[in-house]
Amino acid sequence: MAINKNSNLYIITYTVVMVVIVGALLAFLATSLKGKQDANVLNEQKVSIMRAFGEAEANFDEVVTIGRLTAGEFTEVVDEAVVAEVFDMLGNRKALSEAEDNLPIFKMEKDGATKFVLPIVGKGLWGDIWGYVSLLQTTDNVEITGIVMDHAGETPGLGAEIATDKVQSTFEGKKLYNAEGNFAVRMQKGGAQNEHQVDAITGGTKTCDGVNAMLATSIGKYESFLRATETAAEADVEECCDCGECSEEAIVEPINVEEE
Amino acid sequence: MKLSKNFTNPLAANNPVIVQILGICSALAVTVKLEPAFVMGLSVTFVTAFSNLVMSLLRNGVPSRIRIIVQLVVIATLVIVVDQFLRAYMYDVSKQLSVYVGLIITNCIVMGRVEAFALGNKPWDAFVDGVANGLGYAFILVLVAFFRELFGSGTLFGFDVIARFGYVNNSLMLFPPMALIIVGVIIWVHRSINKDLQEK
Repeated sequence: MAINKNSNLYIITYTVVMVVIVGALLAFLATSLKGKQDANVLNEQKVSIMRAFGEAEANFDEVVTIGRLTAGEFTEVVDEAVVAEVFDMLGNRKALSEAEDNLPIFKMEKDGATKFVLPIVGKGLWGDIWGYVSLLQTTDNVEITGIVMDHAGETPGLGAEIATDKVQSTFEGKKLYNAEGNFAVRMQKGGAQNEHQVDAITGGTKTCDGVNAMLATSIGKYESFLRATETAAEADVEECCDCGECSEEAIVEPINVEEE
Repeated sequence: MKLSKNFTNPLAANNPVIVQILGICSALAVTVKLEPAFVMGLSVTFVTAFSNLVMSLLRNGVPSRIRIIVQLVVIATLVIVVDQFLRAYMYDVSKQLSVYVGLIITNCIVMGRVEAFALGNKPWDAFVDGVANGLGYAFILVLVAFFRELFGSGTLFGFDVIARFGYVNNSLMLFPPMALIIVGVIIWVHRSINKDLQEK
């Protein structure tokens, strides 16, 4: 008996069998590779954080303390489930940009200095931009010690330059807050004019605006924490010298903005 | 004889990219660097080869009314397999290729070969045809990426080649239009060699 290959019954049976086989195959594949894929994502996050710290060679698990900022307090996260939650959040840019509490923060102590790395997320010209910024509290300010940024689809050669070392290295040493106490780091069109500003990218103005907004909003969420420790550091200094010279000097001294 | 012709034809005389002008979209998008271009070429080769093989095996049982749907399911499955493997084992490259791996599904070469060849030929011939067309595509991709990476970034496979001699990178090479121009030049050279392809 010949089968009528154009009968509805044959077509439906054929489709069902095909879909079941393909579905089972893909489900099996996805489950068996998931562990490896998740490990890749986690590893990339850790590598990015280490690059922000400026310690690309060091082992994340050995030197970094994973923490969360809960109600303005740094809380170390040890529990595995919570650690997973923190990294899940890093991978979810929407959740990260909406988060108000339990903000991820990473701490590394080296040579007596404590650096913090915060995740940053924002919008560039064409899509999301994100990264990590490493901060060091000085006696009277907070200083950027490193930044890594990446993007979903900025224009190559223009906005996409934010993902290059060349641009990222210009952020090093910039001070977050100006004399009035306002957040002042920005990519400045026409070139950096003070110790807070970074040269903007010619042709990448919209992306730079996005970076500015990203830094202000993302770091802004941590401001009370950064400020609190900063005041503590300042109080320590006043114990050693009441003249106030230290803080003045710190503001005046590093005018080494290169003219291009 | 026929088999070897099946194999060599798509590589030069009947190259899918520069003669049939198929698969141009991804050829422009993933040729900034050699490594992603290379991986993309291999991925497409894998998909064309196995979609041809599978469809050729199924060719006598597929109801002709849902032929295209069956082809799409087979191709999509293979593309997902490639995508999942890249994410697991070549994470960096898979990030650079981003959506273009998924877009192999829409690459006209794949479905074109299934429709035009696999449905009417034996499995082994179809498989060879798929490999050859994939390699024909990969060859053009790698060629374009070679020039774009060399002159755009001064490197080859990430190794510094001419930048050390004081070469200043030409970022124009990194823009998609430049890929179009390079493909155009390749087509020009190719047609001036194969005169029978020239339109009168």
